[in-house]
Amino acid sequence: MAKTRDLYTEELVLNMGPHHPSTHGVCRLILKMDGEVITDCIPVVGYLHRAIEKIVENRTYAQCIPIMDRFEYVTAMMCDWAFCLATEKLTKLEIPERAEYLRVIMGELNRIASHLLCIGVTALDLGALTPFLYTFRERELILDLFEMTCGQRLTYNYIRIGGVARDIPPEFIPKCREFLNIINPKIDDYEKILTENPIWIARNKGVGIIPEQMVYDYAISGPSARASGVNYDIRKHDTYSIYDRFDFDIPVFFGCDSYDRYRARLAEMRQAARIIGQALDQMPEGEVRVKVTAAFKTEPGEVYSRIENSRGEMGIHLISDGSKKPFRMRARGGSYNHLMAVPEIVKGLKIADLVAVFASLDIIMPEIDR
Amino acid sequence: MTKEELIAHITENFSGTLEIIETNQPEPYFIVKADELRDFSRFIHDDPQLMLNFLMNLSAVDTGERFETVYNVCSYRHKHRIFFKVYLDHDQPEVDSVMKIWSAANWYEREVWELFGILVHDHPNLTRFLLPEDWDQGYPMRKDWIGRDVIPLPER
Repeated sequence: MAKTRDLYTEELVLNMGPHHPSTHGVCRLILKMDGEVITDCIPVVGYLHRAIEKIVENRTYAQCIPIMDRFEYVTAMMCDWAFCLATEKLTKLEIPERAEYLRVIMGELNRIASHLLCIGVTALDLGALTPFLYTFRERELILDLFEMTCGQRLTYNYIRIGGVARDIPPEFIPKCREFLNIINPKIDDYEKILTENPIWIARNKGVGIIPEQMVYDYAISGPSARASGVNYDIRKHDTYSIYDRFDFDIPVFFGCDSYDRYRARLAEMRQAARIIGQALDQMPEGEVRVKVTAAFKTEPGEVYSRIENSRGEMGIHLISDGSKKPFRMRARGGSYNHLMAVPEIVKGLKIADLVAVFASLDIIMPEIDR
Repeated sequence: MTKEELIAHITENFSGTLEIIETNQPEPYFIVKADELRDFSRFIHDDPQLMLNFLMNLSAVDTGERFETVYNVCSYRHKHRIFFKVYLDHDQPEVDSVMKIWSAANWYEREVWELFGILVHDHPNLTRFLLPEDWDQGYPMRKDWIGRDVIPLPER
């Protein structure tokens, strides 16, 4: 505490949230402040708790998928994918070639949409309204593609056990190619407006340092880990689905700060666009779904499936007793570990920087509260 | 390391007792004794050939007869992973905290304590996490807990 000759100050406890616009959901942070400097931060979670893990124990496997959509609604496609992958691993179900390609295309489109949201919202939190409008303009194009495919814009219920719900309409592929043609120039635009912007650099560079050791300790994954110099991507190093057929790079940055997390996301969007382009070229014709009955049962057993979500590792630990309902399902999302690390990251920063760090980690609350 | 190499390396170098679960999955799966959990965790975390420094997931299971805590760990360096679990008594479930080894266990263990009622020894902050602060209706993730509004799935 600051102490001058006659003046004593005391620690101030400040409540931030639960309905704070920059907490992206409903998260409450109890901050202990010394003047404007944060000395301690206690996250209080659970405001969005919907007991997803309990609910799925009373649902058939097919009924679980709409629930998994709500697990993390920003990348609902990938949540469905992780769950379907777990059940398919358990039953050793082979899914059609075309369905694999459709899953990759939808998953990567969803990744771009999620990163666009993250970058736009980070800029908005730091007081720049324009990039938010730009990124949402492009995100809208992706949502149109999803709406064309499955009728939904946020909770898709498109990836099903044994494939995908239905084939894409014929006008999807030209629309998707059109999108791929414009996304790279648009990312260049974001770079122009943000990457070399002196205010953006001042607010982000050197702020919210996550040293490499903290990445291991707190199990931080995804772009946030790759911005701290950890070269690990599940798509490449523990490959699933058909990611080994595509040529793409893993962008790794070494700045460990908010700025590099932003750059990692931008670079990842370019790679995602590359993957979608290759998938559209290679995609064969054919069936999109293996028929599974309503009373679908898995083999008794235990499986952990993991996919690279836009926020990090998305894992499903599924235990089956051979009945038509999951015996136990535990879902793990990247934000969970990111929020756990926030108190250590923000110690010694100012409140305005906390907002920047929180946004740059891309924390989405429903994933934590479940 | 492959699955067989991992199993051989761990069983040779760990001094405690280990049981191996046969699965058709690519990861080795061990059962660790509850009183050896911390030694085992320390060993797999520090061993230079294993370096399992990434705690992917920690969860608990209520099988009806016993509780299990399941640990999924992976190595960022060597890109391999193992799973292990600990069997706990159903009447008085207690487990040691692994937070000193993987800091990420912090919230996972709070959740295990809150939703399953498994007492985690040496955890610094076992407080309400997901449930409301005034929650007094027991441990909802246990199999014998039925919520007020839960309508069971009709059998066909």
